[in-house]
Amino acid sequence: MMPASLSRRFLRTAFAATLALAMAGCASGPKGAAHEEVNDPLEVPNRFVFAANEAVDILAIRPAAEIYHGTVPDPVRQAVANVLANLLAPLVIGNSLLQGDVQNASDATGRFLTNTILGVGGVFDVASAAGVPAYRSEDFGQTLGTWGVGDGPYLVLPLIGRSNARDAVGYGADTLADPFRIGMSAINANGVLYTRTGVSAVDSRSQILKEVDDLRRNSVDFYATARSLYGQQRNAQIRNSRAVDSPEFPDFDKPAPSPVSPMP
Amino acid sequence: MLTRRHLLTGAALLALSGWAALNPVFAQSADPGAGAFIQKLGTEAINSFANKSQPKPAALAKFKQLLNEGFDVPYIGRWVLGRYWNQASPQQQQEYQQLFEQLIVKTYAERFVEYSGETFKITGTRPEGESDTMVTTQIIRPAGPPVAVDWRVRKRDAGYKIIDVVVEGVSMGVTQRQEFASVIQSNGGKIDGLIQALRQKTAQQPG
Repeated sequence: MMPASLSRRFLRTAFAATLALAMAGCASGPKGAAHEEVNDPLEVPNRFVFAANEAVDILAIRPAAEIYHGTVPDPVRQAVANVLANLLAPLVIGNSLLQGDVQNASDATGRFLTNTILGVGGVFDVASAAGVPAYRSEDFGQTLGTWGVGDGPYLVLPLIGRSNARDAVGYGADTLADPFRIGMSAINANGVLYTRTGVSAVDSRSQILKEVDDLRRNSVDFYATARSLYGQQRNAQIRNSRAVDSPEFPDFDKPAPSPVSPMP
Repeated sequence: MLTRRHLLTGAALLALSGWAALNPVFAQSADPGAGAFIQKLGTEAINSFANKSQPKPAALAKFKQLLNEGFDVPYIGRWVLGRYWNQASPQQQQEYQQLFEQLIVKTYAERFVEYSGETFKITGTRPEGESDTMVTTQIIRPAGPPVAVDWRVRKRDAGYKIIDVVVEGVSMGVTQRQEFASVIQSNGGKIDGLIQALRQKTAQQPG
């Protein structure tokens, strides 16, 4: 393990490098134009990492998720999902504020406090029963997006999976700023952090078993499909699922109108 | 991060079209006929597939019928191919369209035939593009949170057709277009590469 000071320096350099990459004209078209040509200059290494991640998923993660889904009762799985979501609430609050979304920050705060205190550390989703509004999940990648940072080149990261230059920086920032991680590191309980990562991976994987199976089976190029979905999903998240820019759907039967110069 | 809400691929509901809009279409306002079309379509689909006693081949045939009546499959196929359409020969175009329809059926038919109690409600309509209408719906599932599905509807002389489906902000047309473009580019820009891949894909399972 790298000593703390060295790993902090490494992270800072990586942060700066990816931020520079994201800003440096590698960004794909205007914000929200996910339907344009995909920006994947690193396609060759990305496909390699994607294939490696697929192997790990098929051999280890998916089987674990399937067993988890099949053997652990629904209420227990729900409780696990609740705890994991609750641990992320501080990051959602912070990122919502950074985006100027006071409503979402307030909803997230309400849920976090209610579920942590009354819901025994997030195990019970008391807030839903009490009518506290649900909140949208926010991360630093989305924050950067709302600030106008372009997504930069598409990246497939080992184990973490699909990302892009901006979202990778966002992931790093969220990891550093995560109060739960800071707390556990401070008391040297790194085992808890590894457990959380593992459980989180299995939990989220178990919710999309059928969907991923379908995509794998029906895609002509699963890598390209996954890449397209990622870009569109992130754009929808950044815009908070409001209507996104639609591409053109021309009328093929009508000949294209010849360009007319505007009246002086 | 992948979540179930974002990843539903088989959430489209089909129904018979054949509802002729009696209202003139104004470019700037949503066409109320489009909403009625989707309503009729969805109800028809639910009625068709809720009947579990019909044999599989009949259900598949029903699916194909509803698909072609509700969706402009040739238009979608051509749109998905994008700029490569004009680079394809008429034979390639024809084979591509056949394979494209087979792929749609293979991809979605199973999910419809396995229908298990989903319902939907129309939450609104809005004009889109020059003359299309986006009909926003919520698919209510027995297990899991509702899914937002938007239907891009275009008026055709005899009625309406769906030309794109947007699930939780993700356009099925855009996804497929980017996927096919990637396949063609991986094959040195040759459309035959895509056609070959589609042949293999649709041959894997009789549809």
